[in-house]
Amino acid sequence: MTSLKRSVADPYTSNILSKVFVRSTKIGKVQKVVRELYLRQDIPCSSRLCAACLAIAPGDANGVVAPFILSEKPAGTKSFPEGHYLVPDTNALLNGMDLFEQTSGFYDVIILQTVLDELRNRSLPLYNRVIGLTKSDDKHVYVFFNDFRLETYVVREPGETINDRNDRAVRRAVSWYREHLQNSLNTSKNPKQCPAILMLSDDKENLRKAKAENLNACSLSTYVSGLENADRLLDMINASRQIQESRSSAADKLYPDYLSLPKMMTGIRAGTLHQGIFNVSPYNYLEGSVHVPAFDKSLLILGRENSNRAVSGDAVVVEVLPKTQWKAPSTKIIEEETLNKNENAETEDGEGEAVVTEQERRALQEEVRKTQGKSIEGRPQPTARVVGVIKRNWRQYVGHIDSSSSSAGSQGRKQQTVFLIPMDKRIPKIRLRTRQADELLGKRVLVTIDSWDQDSRYPMGHFVRSLGDLETKGAETEALLLEYDVQYRPFPKGVLDCLPHEGHDWKVPASLTDSGWKGRKDLRDLLVCSIDPVGCQDIDDALHARPLPNGNFEIGVHIADVSHFVKPNNAMDAEASIRGTTVYLVDKRIDMLPMLLGTDLCSLKPYVERYAFSVLWEITKDAEIINSSFTKSVIRSREAFSYEQAQLRIDDKSQKDDLTQGMRTLLMLSKKLRRKRMDAGALNLASPEVRVQTESETSDPVDVKTKELLDTNSLVEEFMLLANISVAGKIYESFPQTALLRRHAPPPKSNFEELANQLKTKRGHSLRTESSKALADSLDTCVDPTEPFFNTLIRIMATRCMMSAEYFCSGTQSYPEFRHYGLASEIYTHFTSPIRRYADLVAHRQLAAAIEYEQLDVSLHSKPKLEEVCKNINVRHRNAQMAGRASVEYYVGQALKGRIIEEEGSVMKVFSNGFVVFVPRFGIEGLIRLGDLATPEPEGTFDAEEYVLRVSGSVKLEVELFQKVTVRISDVKEESTGKRKIKLELIKP
Amino acid sequence: MPLPPSIYHLSSSHLRLDGRRWNELRRLTAQISTQASADGSSYLEMGNTKVLCTVTGPSEGKGGGRRGDEDSMSVDVRVNVAGFAGMDRKRVGRGDRRITELQNTISSAFSSTLFTHLYPHSTISLQIHILSLDGSLLAASLNAATLALIDAGVPMRDYLVACTAGLTPPSGRGDGDDMDPLLDLNGSEETEVPFLTVGTGGAGGGDVGGGGGWV
Ligand SMILES: [Zn+2]
Repeated sequence: MTSLKRSVADPYTSNILSKVFVRSTKIGKVQKVVRELYLRQDIPCSSRLCAACLAIAPGDANGVVAPFILSEKPAGTKSFPEGHYLVPDTNALLNGMDLFEQTSGFYDVIILQTVLDELRNRSLPLYNRVIGLTKSDDKHVYVFFNDFRLETYVVREPGETINDRNDRAVRRAVSWYREHLQNSLNTSKNPKQCPAILMLSDDKENLRKAKAENLNACSLSTYVSGLENADRLLDMINASRQIQESRSSAADKLYPDYLSLPKMMTGIRAGTLHQGIFNVSPYNYLEGSVHVPAFDKSLLILGRENSNRAVSGDAVVVEVLPKTQWKAPSTKIIEEETLNKNENAETEDGEGEAVVTEQERRALQEEVRKTQGKSIEGRPQPTARVVGVIKRNWRQYVGHIDSSSSSAGSQGRKQQTVFLIPMDKRIPKIRLRTRQADELLGKRVLVTIDSWDQDSRYPMGHFVRSLGDLETKGAETEALLLEYDVQYRPFPKGVLDCLPHEGHDWKVPASLTDSGWKGRKDLRDLLVCSIDPVGCQDIDDALHARPLPNGNFEIGVHIADVSHFVKPNNAMDAEASIRGTTVYLVDKRIDMLPMLLGTDLCSLKPYVERYAFSVLWEITKDAEIINSSFTKSVIRSREAFSYEQAQLRIDDKSQKDDLTQGMRTLLMLSKKLRRKRMDAGALNLASPEVRVQTESETSDPVDVKTKELLDTNSLVEEFMLLANISVAGKIYESFPQTALLRRHAPPPKSNFEELANQLKTKRGHSLRTESSKALADSLDTCVDPTEPFFNTLIRIMATRCMMSAEYFCSGTQSYPEFRHYGLASEIYTHFTSPIRRYADLVAHRQLAAAIEYEQLDVSLHSKPKLEEVCKNINVRHRNAQMAGRASVEYYVGQALKGRIIEEEGSVMKVFSNGFVVFVPRFGIEGLIRLGDLATPEPEGTFDAEEYVLRVSGSVKLEVELFQKVTVRISDVKEESTGKRKIKLELIKP
Repeated sequence: MPLPPSIYHLSSSHLRLDGRRWNELRRLTAQISTQASADGSSYLEMGNTKVLCTVTGPSEGKGGGRRGDEDSMSVDVRVNVAGFAGMDRKRVGRGDRRITELQNTISSAFSSTLFTHLYPHSTISLQIHILSLDGSLLAASLNAATLALIDAGVPMRDYLVACTAGLTPPSGRGDGDDMDPLLDLNGSEETEVPFLTVGTGGAGGGDVGGGGGWV
């Protein structure tokens, strides 16, 4: 008989631990996780002073030992003239991450594994920022795996909280480092000065214990006070903690408590609570909405109390209010900036403040009175209140300091509290404590929100940095890039290292036996040309057409072969996947790929040979596709046309060469393709695009023009659509689970209710929305012979009712859901712009694998990885669009500066105290409030049924929806903020 | 985004989630003759993967309804995963595709290693019980089975020994030079890293089967 026993003499027993912990999964199941832990003694301290560790440091699989990171002579302070290594605990990083990232100090930092793990649980963005720091060469940030090292591993004692255990682990590591370095230096032959190990913590208890154990330790603010420019640095420490200490606990709670997480989860599962993303209306900062799956319409969240400290973008849990409290969405414009203009930011302690200011209360009450006065048995929407926040979506915000909130001229560097007014109107004012209020006035400032406590009406934040003076091009552009989270830093060296080392001299290899030619078709003889906007440098696509002997045509779309240069998973690919897209601003382009590729090696420039990925079709005269094929190729573009040049060439009867004939064929076929698409129900939602003309030298805006659309624009568009559709089908066929596709969901019917009703009452048109075809047809009928712009206006408004298109991984949806509503295509992807969109690059790789040109990288086989890619590029894509639009808006504003122009516009929205006018020529939309019409402010009665605002009192007039008006456009500088704004004044109703 | 910043590349030390380096195996302990009633038996731990294996036979007749070559012995493998083996307490059914695949792989591996021609018209059956599951299931099963077969005294060409090997995700710093090979993957690593199970006999050696891919 034998019995099961552990082998007796296991030399490693003391080094192996079992970590047991319980975790709950997303769906609320509880899992018990047992994990082994192997403790070891060969983890180096990574100090260049330490010879002992250098001797034992193990290498990776290639035997490469990583260089040691911590410097021999680290910087010191007055208290530590011998220099120090910093060891922050989790709180120090949570409160002072911005400090660690700036360059005037905070070098030679040891990040403990314990801290990193804790940080990852507390805040993923902060964790990622720390990881970013460890990768920088000049910051000397080292991750020490203290939980894997035998001497520094700490076992949690019975009754000890996890936080206390972690704090103890930090202190243990600090003391180990000190002894280890001292020992190591004592044994070395030429003893050098041993740097101090300084623990940074904002936890009083932890600091006290550290002192008791004779360790060097201090709080962030104490440490920073000893540095140069301490004032600026002190502003960068998270504010919430300091305030909490200074404020009495007796302070009144302005906002209701949040429910506990388990309570919320139970509520959600039971269906009594709902989870969704909190969005704030751009017209009314007191009105938010949350879309939840259980309700068709969004839930309205009215007023501060109900939104309960949620900030636009947060994932919140809401409770639906009783039906008696349901309301119609607001018909009133309420802007925080104008309403609560002269609030004092300092009134924090003492008497406390009300959640709702007197002005706000009045505004809301008027609203209620008015809506109830109307017989709107009309469309009340369910309302709800926020009971908890699942996940904050706080980021860094750009704004300016409200000058009225700062006690101007205050002498010295006294700390005062000021308001920051964010650029994004949906974000509430942020309370900021600063010692440099005077310098920050009139500047674009970057801040973060730290906390929003129950006893504070506004969130609390801290200063990150100043971008420069308001309205300077540099500051405004950077502000815009930050607001839309565009990655605009220059490409790091690691990325540039991935470029071909020949640089601009790279050429398609001359010899057909070269490996670059393997699997490529030689299409250099084809008469290929490209057609793009004027001055386009990153030419993604080129086309050709030639007649076939059987009377059909061969059509080719040739796309830059970016995937040849950007291999999966290298640094350049990683960077491109994070950037997701190239961002086009009026005066600037922020590339997804380095210039060398984008504007040269990949770009299908004329007269040179380039690698391409070609889609070839045989097409009949009637634009029926006989077959399609895909191949990697080499092409030589004959000419790079602008849309105008191409149009002229096609129209010029005297041109009879083959290239021009080919273009005519393309144009002829594109018109037929377009007809077919339209017949199938594709939507034409083109809104007027505005182009800002700039002076080439200074890029100062000179004029604003609406973009003209030529036949050649749609020529290119049609064939790109065709290529995208063909490729989508091919990659889906080869990878049914993991093809990267693009879909456009049909809009829910309720989205069009408002517009349909407006059209019905004002113009008697009926809008049919049961299919895209019906919608397209009924949009075509919405014309007003006296107002050519009316149809465009309706199309713009209809576009806003649509869902946005999105990238997805084919395995996550069923086939009918693939449909692209706007293009009326069953399946669609992006393939034709790999230089400027990451999605296209992925599609290229998948297509290359589908035609067995190369093997597919494993990461593109994995559904979860692709979903992650999609999630990111969807966000980037949207942000890029918004950044582009904001940039145009800014430049239109600059172009109008100092000018007064009268223009025609149309009323596109009517409120009870104002209306919105759209001016097509500049593509701007502006608000005209009752107060702008005359002083004293006239009375307005709003007929919500008829969409009419009747103004009486000091002026008498009526404004109704879709009405054509003449407005005077000027720009005004707001006194309080120094900010320039476009102002519209009504001249002729 | 290619991958969340993986712990492998956080630091120059290239440590794995459980503190091992790339070429280190987990603690391996094994015993034979643990079940007196069986013809051969073994118990094997590779870290937290714990496997019990018993051998019955070779015995006359074709058991288990498996068809085989009449001239040689067939190898019948049953794998049973205990309900408490994984993180979720759930039953893994016999019909589970992965279990069937596992059984077939083990069966074919031993069909070519054992001297099956010595036992015509007979069957040897291996019962493999997975008591605890933390990655490298195929490798642990093969190792345990080899031990149990040795215990049963079944003649074989060589000992069949197996281990998993994977490749860490690239950090994005270079062109894949910094991808580390990994040995003996545990459960959480298997979900993150493509891997392969390699089995080898002392004399010949070779790839037994790929239980790999992105799980
Ligand atoms: Zn050392």
